[in-house]
Amino acid sequence: MTQEQIWQTVLAQIKLNVSSANFATWFANTKIAGLSGGVITVSVPNSFSKEWLEQKYKTDILKILKSVDSSIKDIEYTITPQKKIFLNNTVKINNDEQLGFSEFERDEETNLNPKYDLDKLIVGPFNELAYAAGEAIIENPGEAYNPLFVYGGVGLGKTHLIQGIGNKIKERHYSKKIRYLPAERLITDVVNSIRENKAEELKREFQTIDVLIIDDIQFISGKTKTQEEFFHIFNALYQNNKQIILSSDKHPGSIPTLTDRLRSRFEGGMIADVSMPDFETRVAILKQKSEEKGLNISFEALEFIAANIQKNVRELEGALNKILIVEKINKRPSNLDDIKKQLKSIISVKTKVTSVENIIDKIIEFYSLEDNNLFISSRKKEYSKPRQLAMYLLKKELKLSYSQIGRKFGGKDHTTVMHACSLVEKEYEENQKFTQEVEMILERIYS
Amino acid sequence: MKLTILTQELRKGLNFGERLTGRNLTLPILNNVLIEALPNFLKISATDLETGIEWWGLCKTEEEGRITIPAKILSQVVNNISDEKIEIEDKNDTLFIKTKTFKTQIKGFTADDFPIIPQFSKENFIEISAQELRDGLSDVVDIASLSQIRPEIGGIYFVFEKDQVNLVATDSFRLVERTVKSSNYKNSFNEDIKFILSQKTTKEVINALEENVGLVKIYYSESQILFETSLNEVDHPEIDLISRQIEGNYPAYQEIIPKEYKTRIIVDKDILTKQIKLAGLFAGKINEMKIKTDDKNLEISSQDLELGENSSTLEVRIEGENVEISFNYKYILDGIARVKTKNAILELQGASGAGVIKAEEGGDYTYVVMPIKR
Repeated sequence: MTQEQIWQTVLAQIKLNVSSANFATWFANTKIAGLSGGVITVSVPNSFSKEWLEQKYKTDILKILKSVDSSIKDIEYTITPQKKIFLNNTVKINNDEQLGFSEFERDEETNLNPKYDLDKLIVGPFNELAYAAGEAIIENPGEAYNPLFVYGGVGLGKTHLIQGIGNKIKERHYSKKIRYLPAERLITDVVNSIRENKAEELKREFQTIDVLIIDDIQFISGKTKTQEEFFHIFNALYQNNKQIILSSDKHPGSIPTLTDRLRSRFEGGMIADVSMPDFETRVAILKQKSEEKGLNISFEALEFIAANIQKNVRELEGALNKILIVEKINKRPSNLDDIKKQLKSIISVKTKVTSVENIIDKIIEFYSLEDNNLFISSRKKEYSKPRQLAMYLLKKELKLSYSQIGRKFGGKDHTTVMHACSLVEKEYEENQKFTQEVEMILERIYS
Repeated sequence: MKLTILTQELRKGLNFGERLTGRNLTLPILNNVLIEALPNFLKISATDLETGIEWWGLCKTEEEGRITIPAKILSQVVNNISDEKIEIEDKNDTLFIKTKTFKTQIKGFTADDFPIIPQFSKENFIEISAQELRDGLSDVVDIASLSQIRPEIGGIYFVFEKDQVNLVATDSFRLVERTVKSSNYKNSFNEDIKFILSQKTTKEVINALEENVGLVKIYYSESQILFETSLNEVDHPEIDLISRQIEGNYPAYQEIIPKEYKTRIIVDKDILTKQIKLAGLFAGKINEMKIKTDDKNLEISSQDLELGENSSTLEVRIEGENVEISFNYKYILDGIARVKTKNAILELQGASGAGVIKAEEGGDYTYVVMPIKR
């Protein structure tokens, strides 16, 4: 008989002999916490219950326990406070302007920010896969999709999604230990633990976690020691069916210098991408945000903003903030023409042209190449691929001629460049992973 | 049970007890107080299963015994008795109250069903003047705000260090820290004792310390706290107030208190209060009030689109750079109201940093308030 069943037997028999009010008050949230050497430890929610059970029901409980398991000699009580679930009934100060202490926005225990509410996340075709995976995880952490790897460009709500999942798990399964960490924190923790000779302690600490959420995991690229430590932490958690949720700005396959064993582990669960929201979703997001901010804005204006800011949810919010401030200064609501004028600066930046240097820099950065490796004539794929992509982007984005591009790459023939461009184009159409890489690079070039 | 007690005494005990009753619907006995006749003492206990209170008063006991009685009716009866002494007796779960002019009986219940108030290890304790602790708590208790996503922030944070006590509360827009340094403060623990109590419990503590001129002892266990005051006449506890602590870690609040300032304004507290109240009349829905300094003058202004506007200038001492900043005027009033010296100090760190209000002397009071975004 399991401990749970033993206690159920006790409760069932006690229930016959006490009033239901008494039973609900004193026996709710009690359970067996342990059994050793004939002493059974019962966990109770507060010290009132402890005193009551100890003084009033000790003999009754012991008698039932003995009838179930004759080796039980004694009962001890231990207090395990119940975490109360507080409803989110914050009296909202009815303005955004009053600043608060940002230090309190983080939950000390989980490191999650309670403002990331999964219910407020707008779900559309661009993120529904990740959201659905998240919902399954909330139901059964550690069992559904493990690890969940969410990737996508900046400002598309990755952090909102993964923190929202964390907050929901906390709400549903309040005994689960959840920990949210940005990858930088992980790196600092690992570095510190090595410096202070506490690597083992760090590992042990991580092993007590039930749900580990790491944001921007791509930053561990190139950090060999962190990758090694994280590999062990990952394995330990994974084997014990602890949930792991990761976010990154790239597909695991595109994170440079990530060891293969980690890569394969990241790919082993569920990989879900978050892409740009479509027009309708952008309008929906704007509508929700403007309602949150108490901004009264016409539908045409929302459509105008959504049509002109396409790549980033954060910028949508930025545009609304700007309108809000202008409204406050003008002391009257802005109409569509005002808004067009106000958002000129934000929108015109988007159509800004780029330069050869910028494209090359961003490619070097994305693939973590040494400066000149983009220009050496190597047939190795790790060099040839970025090189060909650079040629392609110079052609496509800057409309340079094939021979101009050839000269930039150390006097290559224009046919070489043409070949490179057609290769890239073909790859772009056929390989979805590569498509996303190119889009991400474009996004960086124009950001 | 049979005893005689002064009406005034009994009334006092019932008032403490009654405050905790009547909050629980699942267990009706919690609406009752437990009355026990002990040798020379009458003991009254009440609990809502989060907080428990036990009170002792001197009496003449002829026969020991115990019974529970609905708190409300008992205290209403006792509050209306004008005779000096009361005789109490119980028979068959009924309480008989008799005075020179007056006789009543109230139906009660057996005491066996009354919750047992937890006992404490009294090895180590903290001791402090009840008056001083109460003054400190009164300064912070109202700042805490219950409606928080995070319950630990909604409580009052007690920090008993080796030689001083810090009391902290916040509603996430402002934070107050009050330090109590008392000549008769004692902490027999080897470490700093820190815990969080709910605002409700803290109010009960303040109430329990209300008329006490002596010392209060504080006992600590992992999940519970016991405040104990003593009777003046004899060496015996008067009130034991036991409460559950709020789970969780209080945030590192010291990080919120700015260590430096860019502008420092020293101003007569009463004059400033008056001007802020004036500004408050035109502060609009979000209670916005503007503060602007120019070397010697402090300008306080507010504007309401519908009502009108107001501005006033005060000559004050200003150190550091000039600044323009907006605050919720009510928050500033709350901060200044707790300053006990003639002059208040307002320290600012630019237009979007936190403001700090302090007393001119003492250094035992710090009030941090966040501005309104401009």
